[in-house]
Amino acid sequence: MEATAVKIENESMENRVAQIIIEELKLEDVTPESFDKNLDLVDELGIDSMDLTAVVLVLQDEYSITIDEDDYPKLKNVSLIAKYIQDRLD
Amino acid sequence: MSGPAQATRAEVLNFSTHPTKGQRWKFSQLLEDESVRHRWEKVRKYFFLRESTYDMSNRCNIRCDGCYYFEGDKQFARENRKTEAWRTLMRQEKARGITYVVLAGAEPALVPELLRVCFEEMPLGSIATNGVKFIPKSVGYKIHISVWGNDETSRKIRRAKDLLVRQMDNYAGDERAVFVFTYTRENINEAQEVVELLASNDFKVTFNMFSSTLGYDGPLRHDDRSLLATRKSMLDLLRLYPQNVLFSPYSALAHTHTRGLHSLFKCPYPRMNPSTHIGLGRSFRQYRTDLNWDREVACCVPDTDCEDCRHYAAGSAVVTARLHGHAKDPEHFKAWLDYVDTYLAVWVMGYEKSENLQTKLVPPPGFELAPAW
Repeated sequence: MEATAVKIENESMENRVAQIIIEELKLEDVTPESFDKNLDLVDELGIDSMDLTAVVLVLQDEYSITIDEDDYPKLKNVSLIAKYIQDRLD
Repeated sequence: MSGPAQATRAEVLNFSTHPTKGQRWKFSQLLEDESVRHRWEKVRKYFFLRESTYDMSNRCNIRCDGCYYFEGDKQFARENRKTEAWRTLMRQEKARGITYVVLAGAEPALVPELLRVCFEEMPLGSIATNGVKFIPKSVGYKIHISVWGNDETSRKIRRAKDLLVRQMDNYAGDERAVFVFTYTRENINEAQEVVELLASNDFKVTFNMFSSTLGYDGPLRHDDRSLLATRKSMLDLLRLYPQNVLFSPYSALAHTHTRGLHSLFKCPYPRMNPSTHIGLGRSFRQYRTDLNWDREVACCVPDTDCEDCRHYAAGSAVVTARLHGHAKDPEHFKAWLDYVDTYLAVWVMGYEKSENLQTKLVPPPGFELAPAW
């Protein structure tokens, strides 16, 4: 039961992260649910440093955390971003 | 009799939600100011720009003291003048995500056929030229015309006669043209007459800082005193000619700080940045005239002494890339927006500069004003 709750929480955070990325990058034809959570944002989606920064600034607001610029390389995909945020919240 | 005026809703909200001194502002709070949000939306449309630079020719029709091109190995690269080779290169560049080209060294105007091919393949870019030879209108890039002082100074350090007059004649009424006045330690007092002349002829002008090439310790190199005098001159000219001078108070501060751009903002160009994860460290290349490039020396002004680098082209990328560090409070964020708005107006055809949001002198994040103002 507890594991299921954690899974739902992770999925919820991943979807919210995906939603922020979709909104900030103005992506079309994709929803938070359909967004591939393992898609490499730089190599496969092709986002650049300025776009990633814009996403990071919104994530900082959303979760009241500070993300260091040196940590950008860790933010490779939605799944890893959600895990990064979860670690900071813990 | 009425009591004290009631605080407005906005005042109450400001009081209750904005951070106290020392706390970090939320990004959403920075965007509550309508003029800031509007400027943010204006500049972020250009986040897709990804630049690389290209030496077009190993020849120049003048020879200037302290020229970055004629330092180091790149000047000895063989010229590739085959238009199809350049077309292929531009297509390859586009395929790897480059959206903006800077055509420079030694003098691009000497190879107009190559400029035309680049423009046909890559619609956004700029050309750094001395302005002696006109670049055909069919090349629709921004054209940055270098000015190193009045004509007397140009004759001395560029060995070019009546240079400013020739430059202005060539580019009269040309919307591509932006004059780039390079401040050296010795020409600060000439900026006023040059900018006045350019403004009276309806030209746009921006400012550059002489940045020493490696090993250069000659009379053009800035010192603290000349940095301060340059900053004052830049701010005076910005105030006097707001319609013609493309600059901002923060641009003036960032480029005349005692510390160079790398020290202030951590240069993201490959030469100083080993990371290939994202941004310039990943995508930027500096091609020589033989169409080869070398990551170890890749930056927008190769062979410049990084400690002394205050170059306008460098700043356009170095300061702009530091959005994260500037989005910490309204003062720094407005200063950053002005800087980016300036950079886009200088480098992108059709982009119009807006009024600066930040009129105060704000030091770069984590630093003091230096030299002291």
